[in-house]
Amino acid sequence: MRYSNEPLFWSLFSAGGMLAALLLPVLIVLTGFVLPADEIAFSHLQDIFSNALIRLVLFALAFLVFMHWANRFRHTLVDMGLKSLHTPISVLSYVVAIAGTAWAALVLLG
Amino acid sequence: MPDTITLELFRYHPDRDERPRFQAYEVPFREDWVVLDALNYLKDRVDGSLTYRWSCRMGVCGSCGMMVNGYPKLTCAAFLRDYLPGPIRVEPLSGFPVERDMVVVLDDFMQKLSSVKPWIIRETAAETMASGEYRQTPAQLAAFKQYSMCINCMLCYAACPVYQHEEQFVGPAVLALAQRYNLDSRDQGNSQRYPVVWADDGIWDCTFVGECSAVCPKHVDPAGAIQQAKIQSTVGFMRSLLPFGNR
Amino acid sequence: MAKPFHRPHSNTWWLRRGPYRVFMLREWSATIFAVYTVLLLVLVSKVLDGPEAYDDYLGVLKSPLMIAFHAVALAAALLHTVTWFQAVPKAMPLRIGEEKVPPVLLMGGAYATLLGASVVVVALFLLD
Repeated sequence: MRYSNEPLFWSLFSAGGMLAALLLPVLIVLTGFVLPADEIAFSHLQDIFSNALIRLVLFALAFLVFMHWANRFRHTLVDMGLKSLHTPISVLSYVVAIAGTAWAALVLLG
Repeated sequence: MPDTITLELFRYHPDRDERPRFQAYEVPFREDWVVLDALNYLKDRVDGSLTYRWSCRMGVCGSCGMMVNGYPKLTCAAFLRDYLPGPIRVEPLSGFPVERDMVVVLDDFMQKLSSVKPWIIRETAAETMASGEYRQTPAQLAAFKQYSMCINCMLCYAACPVYQHEEQFVGPAVLALAQRYNLDSRDQGNSQRYPVVWADDGIWDCTFVGECSAVCPKHVDPAGAIQQAKIQSTVGFMRSLLPFGNR
Repeated sequence: MAKPFHRPHSNTWWLRRGPYRVFMLREWSATIFAVYTVLLLVLVSKVLDGPEAYDDYLGVLKSPLMIAFHAVALAAALLHTVTWFQAVPKAMPLRIGEEKVPPVLLMGGAYATLLGASVVVVALFLLD
């Protein structure tokens, strides 16, 4: 049978949703509240973000969270009544997500 | 306890009305009355032109679904006492065209229902009564039993915002029933249902709002059935990409 | 046949009921995550640029606007985590023979994974 393309986008959406559910609460607390309270030394941060494995995990997180966003964003706008713009919204969402991923690669894998 | 309670009923007569209106009626308040009892009282004693569907009065037939104060309910299970002091606003199920008063047009639902072939399909046509029954273990029955409880009342369609704006969407009950047959060990028709179920306007229109499962009077959980089908469809999609793994 | 009446569908349907409003918040949480991820990537690049760049950015992170954003992001993340874990037993029900594995057990597994992941990340950031 001919498959819809949705399984591709949905599996990326799901992987991003799972990673976000597991990692974002603690990351937001750390970088949003603990860092501004001067609780983490610069040299330690430098060590963390220089580690190749951590950079790879952060890249996977960024890529999948952007794909998760694109899927929810395009569906939500349609649910809110922009059905006639379905295709341009989808294209735009994934172009933005891929651009974000490219930038993440530049920062983390460069 | 009040003596009476007010019902605001959605009225639409296709030959006389350009648009619907609401009409208020006062009915006796009885502790053990449901909205359907109040409607039957009005039709019998006050206004015989009132039009609505009902049959069993006990949550089995699935005919008496309506919007009660904006929420899809079987009116045979909606007690007046839960809506005190009133008024109670009764409307036809949302998402469907209105034939007259509380009666909605079922054509779209019926067409979608038959499109997923909700019956047991066998590959070999030659099987006859003489070849005996299809045996099933209790575990095989348990795999789909929950989805077989559907009474086609369409409350889930009225609760589904996706169906309201995307009329092509196959919708919760029909997708749950497709899953019911796809999970049945006696059935061999999955590949005939996939083109409808796995299509863009099948499971992929669903954004998992989840209200279909919340309003279901039979705890069928169509939202869960659709998410499971999404996983199965994704597995099928991934396999179809493999050079040798094509099923 | 006489004409059936088609009722209009309002684009503000999601304001109508509590569960619809929660659904909308859940969907928009993804947009907040995307913004947060951008901030996280900026943080990484500032740290890699050296102490001066990092100090400047730390000043930005200390601004009330940023604290407020992270508070909203944390609320969104918790909503996402709770609703995502609720969906786990629905999307992947487990059966052992006739018996359904209780959904609470599957959700418990998800929360245990969350706890484990959080402990690892906290240890990474706070232990030298």
